[in-house]
Amino acid sequence: MDGLTIGLIGFGVMLVLLVVRVPIGVAMLAVGVVGYVSIAGEVALFSYLKTETYWRFTAETLSVVPLFILMGQFAAKAGLSSALFAAANAWLGQFRGGIAMAAVGGCAGFGAITGSSLATAATMGQVALPELKRYNYSGALATGALAAGGTLGILIPPSVVLIIYAVMVEANVATLFQAAFIPGVLAALGYILAIAIVVRIFPEAGPAGPRTTFARKWQAILDIWPVLVIFLLVMGGIYIGIFTPTEGAGVGATGTFLIAVMRGGMKWKDFVDAILGTASTTAMIFLILLGASIFNAFLGFSQLPIFAADFFANSGLSPMVILIGMIVLYILLGLVMDSLSMILLTVPIFWPIVAGLDFPVQGEDLKLWFGIITLIVVEVGLITPPVGLNVFVINSMAKDVPMIETFKGVLPFFLSDAVRVVFIILFPTITLILPRLLETQ
Amino acid sequence: MAEGLNDNARPTDPVGRVLYSISRVLAIAGGVLLCIMALLTTLSVTGRSVLNLPVPGDFELVAIGTGLAVFSFLPWCQMNRGNVIVDFFMIAAPVRAKTVCDIVGGVFYLLIALLLTWRMIFGALDMYNYAEKSMTINFPRWTTFPPSILMLAFLVVVIAYTVGRSIAETRAGRFFSDTDEPGA
Repeated sequence: MDGLTIGLIGFGVMLVLLVVRVPIGVAMLAVGVVGYVSIAGEVALFSYLKTETYWRFTAETLSVVPLFILMGQFAAKAGLSSALFAAANAWLGQFRGGIAMAAVGGCAGFGAITGSSLATAATMGQVALPELKRYNYSGALATGALAAGGTLGILIPPSVVLIIYAVMVEANVATLFQAAFIPGVLAALGYILAIAIVVRIFPEAGPAGPRTTFARKWQAILDIWPVLVIFLLVMGGIYIGIFTPTEGAGVGATGTFLIAVMRGGMKWKDFVDAILGTASTTAMIFLILLGASIFNAFLGFSQLPIFAADFFANSGLSPMVILIGMIVLYILLGLVMDSLSMILLTVPIFWPIVAGLDFPVQGEDLKLWFGIITLIVVEVGLITPPVGLNVFVINSMAKDVPMIETFKGVLPFFLSDAVRVVFIILFPTITLILPRLLETQ
Repeated sequence: MAEGLNDNARPTDPVGRVLYSISRVLAIAGGVLLCIMALLTTLSVTGRSVLNLPVPGDFELVAIGTGLAVFSFLPWCQMNRGNVIVDFFMIAAPVRAKTVCDIVGGVFYLLIALLLTWRMIFGALDMYNYAEKSMTINFPRWTTFPPSILMLAFLVVVIAYTVGRSIAETRAGRFFSDTDEPGA
């Protein structure tokens, strides 16, 4: 049996394991180990495994991941979500649908200091849902806006998924964070626009809130100074290259810790909560990373990625058709799988294919452009049925809203995502301009 | 991305309680180490930019420290059913079908964790014999192997316990906590 056949069988077996609830990291490890042995032999595997676990967990490119997770956990304890929502509400609340817009705005602000969608959805949900209910917003619009707004946690840098992608395609994390910024802001604006359209069609879904004075508006901005300081310090520092992403994450974790203690009143119990949350998420991610590294070593031996790249390069299909095919596949996978696993599973095959095609962008730019497109389409899975995790999180917080209403409420935001992806594909400049501008400094 | 913490997966049997407590203490220790790494980075960055006094090779120390923390987090994650699964295809399946699958997945993980622990012992010997050091600060790499191996070995014990838990759940025909369903 040749390597290619073994590679294909391995992929198939892994999908079967996933169907029967084997944890994704474990499934990758199991198939990776068996596949590795069947192509390279057990002597090679045993030697490889002596230090692979160690190198994976202590990789200098990955130490940024637990630090960003820690930063997000502290940020959630810092009591910033209510200030963020209040600030956005002071400016937007007076418009029709404005309180839902403020919820999205708050999510965007929170997304700027955390890399997690669920945490963003959950912390903003706690603050914004009672207000939305008080102003008689429809359950669909209220929960839909928050579930979609939560994805801004990942779409707006920092973003753990983007770091993992960067490691896989050997791109610069800082440059990818730069590239993600404008698309992230567009995502927030697109969601606000979606709300504006919804309330134009169904005015009773989102009535306007009270008008606020200008003094109040500016006061509300002053109240969110910690978020601004952290964002400017961490992301600003990374963007202009004062420090590496790992250093930025370390500074951010320290900063959010201080704010959580001083402003959020974090006690020992909350601190333990935050680090245990960090522990769970970090362990889950690193098990998948370890699995992916062994699985990908096996795939590399099997020549499957090279074969796939050749196959598509010579298929006569236009690059755009292949890209759209990939996007459709991501949306389908997103129905059943989380974003990180999807990236780890597909990028080793997809990236060589994309790199071998004749796109209008090439080289490092292609890594950025493809990365941002991928990031957006894998995040769509968080808000689509049947396992849209953000939808579950928000719906469990809004007890009186049926699940089906939340999924209906997500629809306008899904359309907004679709429009944005089309624009980002058609106009690579949206992604590439910020890295360009910052590079020339 | 599935994340966050299921704090109500706390076991009620004596063995489970002990394992739960040890995993928790380990994870907290690892978390504190991670915080120290964050602080170290902050000091290094401040030293470099404000006082012009860089801490050389701080990134190596941070990588080694966070690596150690990751090892300490694994048992806690397993104890709390924190590893992501694809629930979609069996969402409507009877509980017993799910718990049987969980036994299978657990056994896979058990075998792999055993393999990794076993191989890492030889990795430690290699690192020790070749006196591998990190590039900039000459940190002897073997030193974090013994604690890492111990934590992996403890992970093996925890996985064995969770397999036992899945078997007991199969017998009982119900999950012992409601935390294994994503979003539940």
